[in-house]
Amino acid sequence: MLEVHGLKKRYGRKNVLDNVSFTVQPNTLTCLIGLNGAGKSTILKGIMGLIPLDSGTVLIDGTGSKDAVAYIPDLQTMPGHMTVGDALDYMNDHYADWNGETAESLLRTFQLMRTDVITDLSKGNQAKFNLILGFALDRPYLILDEPLAGIDIFTKEQIAWIFTSEFMEGRGILMTTHEIDEIEHLIDRVIFLQDGRVIDEHDAEEMRELHGKSVQDRMREVYAR
Amino acid sequence: MSYEFDQRIPVYLQVIALFKQRIATRELAPGQEIPSRRELAAQLGINPNTAQRAYKEMEEQQLITTERNVPSRITMDERIVEKIRSELLEAAVTEFIQSVQAIGAPLPEVVGKIEQAYANRGKQHA
Repeated sequence: MLEVHGLKKRYGRKNVLDNVSFTVQPNTLTCLIGLNGAGKSTILKGIMGLIPLDSGTVLIDGTGSKDAVAYIPDLQTMPGHMTVGDALDYMNDHYADWNGETAESLLRTFQLMRTDVITDLSKGNQAKFNLILGFALDRPYLILDEPLAGIDIFTKEQIAWIFTSEFMEGRGILMTTHEIDEIEHLIDRVIFLQDGRVIDEHDAEEMRELHGKSVQDRMREVYAR
Repeated sequence: MSYEFDQRIPVYLQVIALFKQRIATRELAPGQEIPSRRELAAQLGINPNTAQRAYKEMEEQQLITTERNVPSRITMDERIVEKIRSELLEAAVTEFIQSVQAIGAPLPEVVGKIEQAYANRGKQHA
């Protein structure tokens, strides 16, 4: 279990994160949903220890180590002049828990070529490439920052396939998004953020079962008030 | 193949409904092997956890049987198959009656219409 307890962060007089707490269970897809500026990316960076927090703790299976977490930010981390193949080899050389078989399998499914130069990839293909970087690390937790942002609907469906695949198994995934239409039926749990606070939290199936509402319906209620 | 799900109804219940329909029409025959959870998730485009939950529920309702180390199968119990069929028929009729009653149509007129519609469909398919 990935636990986030009481994260607080201020920039000047603004509360960017105001006592944020939640958990990500193994074997679930949890979505952090919020409008732009709600604090989604800040939470992910906070979890990974990439920015200093004013207070709060993050525990991953009971420890403070981040070794069990793969984090994919919403920008390209690999130098653009590299080819896809070079980048995957680089990962293989530097990470002991890199799974080359998973990488090759995803490369075929997403129809990316090892010879493709990263900077020449379309936005959709860059997103696919980024997902490979995360999913090919054999780690029980995966954090994805806006993996579907600005991508056309067909590519989104191709990418969403990964959340129906065997590569999901045994993983707890936390992803941020502000658009959920194409992936709503794939999500196990939703956490709604506003102005750095968790304002609502649901099991997606339970919300449908008990309230007859879709995640979208709830999103409208939450953010329209 | 991806299936269109209603986002306001639990996905696992929609998966069960899909199975019930196919069992009732015998598109899925008694004793037939069904896809693994993983295969089902990929086929329907759903989260593997949801596939798992649907199978668990179907096991509890005895729609499918699972033994160790072999693929799950559709029940061989004809009584269960017949029960699913009559449940589905009853649900369809109830829904139909609700919409007809909302219009306030009397029974003989409705029955007449049904018979006529059935006859016409028969001709079209012949």
